[in-house]
Formats: sequence, C-alpha cells, structure tokens
Amino acid sequence: MNRDSFRRRSRAWGRRQSYSFFSSLGTLLSHRLGTLMTVLVLGIAMALPIGLYVTVSNLRTLDLQREQWGTITVFLNSEAAEAQVQELAKLINLDHQASVEAISPGQGMEQFREASGFGQTLDLFEDNPLPWVLLVTPRLSDGEDLGEAVARLDAWLQERAEVDLVQIDFKWLQRLAGLLELGQALVSVLSVMFSLAVVVVVANTIRLDVASRAEEIEVLSLVGAGNGFIRQPFLYSGFWYGLLGAMLALVLFNLGLYYLQQPLERLLDSYGNQFEVVNIGGSGLVLIVFAGGFLGFLGAWVSVQRYLRQLRKSGMLGRL
Amino acid sequence: MITFEQVSKRYESGAMALREVSFHLEPGEMVFLTGHSGAGKSTLLRLILMLEKATRGQVIVDGRNLSKTQSRQAPRVRRRIGMIFQDHKLLNDKTVFDNVSLPLMIAGERYPDIRKKVRAALDKVGLSGKEKSWPMRLSGGEQQRVGIARAIVGMPPVLLADEPTGNLDPELSRELFGLFRQLNSQGVTVLVASHDLALIRSMRQRVLVLAQGKLADDISGSDIAGPAA
Ligand SMILES: Nc1ncnc2c1ncn2[C@@H]1O[C@H](COP(=O)(O)OP(=O)(O)O)[C@@H](O)[C@H]1O
Ligand SMILES: [Mg+2]
Repeated sequence: MNRDSFRRRSRAWGRRQSYSFFSSLGTLLSHRLGTLMTVLVLGIAMALPIGLYVTVSNLRTLDLQREQWGTITVFLNSEAAEAQVQELAKLINLDHQASVEAISPGQGMEQFREASGFGQTLDLFEDNPLPWVLLVTPRLSDGEDLGEAVARLDAWLQERAEVDLVQIDFKWLQRLAGLLELGQALVSVLSVMFSLAVVVVVANTIRLDVASRAEEIEVLSLVGAGNGFIRQPFLYSGFWYGLLGAMLALVLFNLGLYYLQQPLERLLDSYGNQFEVVNIGGSGLVLIVFAGGFLGFLGAWVSVQRYLRQLRKSGMLGRL
Repeated sequence: MITFEQVSKRYESGAMALREVSFHLEPGEMVFLTGHSGAGKSTLLRLILMLEKATRGQVIVDGRNLSKTQSRQAPRVRRRIGMIFQDHKLLNDKTVFDNVSLPLMIAGERYPDIRKKVRAALDKVGLSGKEKSWPMRLSGGEQQRVGIARAIVGMPPVLLADEPTGNLDPELSRELFGLFRQLNSQGVTVLVASHDLALIRSMRQRVLVLAQGKLADDISGSDIAGPAA
C-alpha cells in the first residue's frame, strides 16, 4: 500500500468514526427517557462503591498511633476535693508520662450545656451532680505502642481510691482499625461486583437497542456497511452510557457527602483531630469518569458481538 | 460485468431455486430478468449481492469470483453494486437525505461531498428539495425513487432492481424504466427483475427468462417484437 492510499484510507476511517459518533449521540438524544433511566441505574450502581471508597480512604488517613487517640477519661469520686485532684494530676504527669487536663464539675456542666442544648433544664439542679474529670493523654516514648501505654495507665488508675470510673475510647478505635481493613476489602469486592453490574446493564440496554434497530442494521448491511460501521454506533452508545453514569454517580456521591460532611467532621473533631474530609481529586474524577466509559464500552462490545452474530445466523444479513 | 457459470442454488429447505444457470452481461448492458413468481429471479439477484452463496457453479461480478470470496469481503462487493428493492428498504426514522447518504457515509466520504452527491442523486430521480422529508410522508413512487437515489448516489458500476414497479401504477412504472434507461446510457450496467412483460417488451432490451430455476430463454433486444416505448 503506498503512502497516498494509506492516507486516504485513514481519513475515510476517521470520517466514518465521526459519523458513527454523531449517529450514536443522535440515538441517545432521540430516546431521552430510556437513556435517562439507564444512566440513572448506572449512576446509582457506581455511586455506592465510590462512596464507600472515599469513606474508607478518609478514615484510613487517621493516624491511629496519635497520642490524642489514647486519651483516657477518668471520672473521680464525688468526694474528691480539688486539692486531691491536683495532687493526682501532678502524680500522673510526672510519674506516668501522660499529660493531664482536669475538668472541674463547673466546667463540665458548662461544656454539657453547650453541647446538649439542655441549658434551661440543667438549671433545675440545685447541686452540680458532676464529678471532677481528668483527661489523661499518654506521652509515648520512642517506639512505645499507644495500646500498651493506655493499658499501663489504665491498670494504675484502676488501683487509685479517688478514681470512680476509667473510660477508654481507644478500644473502640482498635475495632475501627479492624473495620477499616474489612472496609477496604469490601471496597474491592463491591467495585468488582458493581463494575460487572455496569457491564451487564449496558449490555442489556445495547441488546434491546440492537433488537429495535434490526431493520436499520439490515439496510446498512445491504448497502455495503461492514461489521465495524454497524458495530461502532453501539459501542459509542455504550461508552456514553458508562460515561454519563459515572458523572451522575459523582454528582450523587457529592450530594451525599454534602449532607454527611459536617456531622462526620464534628464527630472526628471531638477526638481532638482537626479533621477535614478529603474528596476525590481531579485525576480521580477523570479516572472514574473514563472507567465508567470503558465499562460501558465493554458491555456494548460483548452485547453487540453476540447479537450481531445472532442476526447474522438468522439469515437477515445474508446467508454466506 | 456479471457472469454466471452453471450456477445452481438449493436452499436449506430443499427448494431448488436455480438450476445450472449460465449467462454473461457486458459492462454497460441493460438486461431484464423475468419469469413467473418463484422462478428464481430474487435468488439470482441475491447471489450477485452476496446475500446467498451458490450451491454449485461460479458467480463472477466485476472480475471477482464470488464463490471464492470470503464472506467478510461481502460489504466491499456490495459497495460496488446499487440495489433497488421492491419494498424500498428505507429507514423511516431517518430523513430522505440521511437515507440516501448512507452509502457515502459508509465509504467515509467528506461531508461537503456527501451533500453535493446526495443533491445530485435526488435531482436525477426528480426529488429535488425533498432532502428533509420523511420517507413515510412520500407516495409509493417517491419512496421508490428515494431507494433509487440511494442506489446510484455512490455511482456504482452495477445497478440491480428487484420488482421495482411492484406497487406502482403503469404510468409511474414507465417513468421508472425510463430512468433506468437514462442511467444505463451513462454507462451503468443495469439488471432489472420484473414480471411486467408488456413493459419489458416495450423497452426493447435483452431479456433473460427464468422458469422453475432454469434459464428458459435469452432474447436479444433486436429480437423483441411489438410497439416501442
Ligand atoms: N429464503 C428462502 N428459503 C427457502 N426457499 C426459498 C427462499 N427464498 C426463496 N425460496 C424458494 O426459491 C424459489 C425461488 O424463489 P425466488 O428467487 O424468490 O423467486 P422469484 O423472485 O422469481 O419469485 C421459490 O421456490 C422459493 O420458494
Ligand atoms: Mg422475487
């Protein structure tokens, strides 16, 4: 093949692609409702794994070895006087490598008033029923495990007469770490399953598309269209379904995030963290959108190969 | 341009549609194919278009032996042939322009060229200005002419027609055959299957007669008696 004829052929190929491209767009637009339904199903299917992925990856950015996480809440006896409390705090601070914040019953009431909104009701109490509270945060020496440090403090505190109750949130965090491992595995499993769902949904839509356009396919074949030209618009349709589905998924996900972001940040801030939800970045968005397009393309490919073969077997496109 | 050598076609059902048919069409010839219903006319055209494969014998079109051509080459063969169908085979959800432009889109021609050629083809069949019409809104005769425009728009060297006058009144049928003759005079090889004997006779062209799948007669144009069209 000489260079000129090659160039001519590749130009013709390019133009055929663009005709198929616009024809597929035209089809999607002329069946607006059907397109919308398919895209909606795909969007919901893809929003779920995206949401879980972002949740898990955000939680994983938490450094579970940070000292703040190990804060122990120590409720003291109601008999414990301020002097006693300060004495205990100093002891913990000096002998047990932990920083201590003491909260008086008055401060505790103030905090509770603010956080709960029970302002008026609380005024009904004549005496403040709250005890002194110590917030004990271990200082980790090099290489020390937060879990061990917390356990060490806990054991010592339990023995003290002034101590009424020791509350350790750290156990909850350890469970969270376990859950995150599970969550990550779940993201992988769900991503595979929902990707498969996208392929199947698009394949089914394209199957109906092929069936409803059997007559057009016959005519195209009669006037000399090759496999590629017949197949191409369906592949583009599949691509569009997937692409639009992924875009909708991102919109749905961000709407969900908008509602969840504040409560989530408040929850995590209460553990002393300045926490900000990290959304999917620009390259992540592009990746998701094109992954959607690719999955749609794949579904269309599977479907179109299969059903064009069936049409051909039926003899509609000639018996050769 | 078209050669049949001892061609037989047996359908899977067992029906023998063609039996050892042999003939040859020169480039630029215009030939009518006639015979009663079920004689094998459509089958013969479908063989040329590679919609069926001959059971025995050779079909040679434009120098290519179709019996030895792979099925994936069929589109290439069909692009060199303009086919007109009795039931038009138009797409009703596409405009006249989109219908007629199909072969050019498939060939990947430039859009401005496509516009020019579609307009010229519609001019030729007397449908100027109907580009934006919907096929369903047109009369039977007009729809048939859209089909012809689509068949000729890519300027194929061969034009086939299967009972193109099937649903048309005698006046329109005569016009249509006149159009075929005009296209033929521009060098296109034309093969028209029809059972309208009176009309065929008036054209004074070569006639192939099929009877129960056999080529019963091959009459040259000069041997046809009767009033000229
Ligand atoms: N697809 C088919 N399958 C089986 N038999 C067929 C098929 N098409 C045509 N035939 C048979 O082949 C013979 C020739 O048919 P056809 O070529 O359509 O004749 P004509 O066009 O002259 O009416 C008939 O007996 C018909 O029943
Ligand atoms: Mg017939």
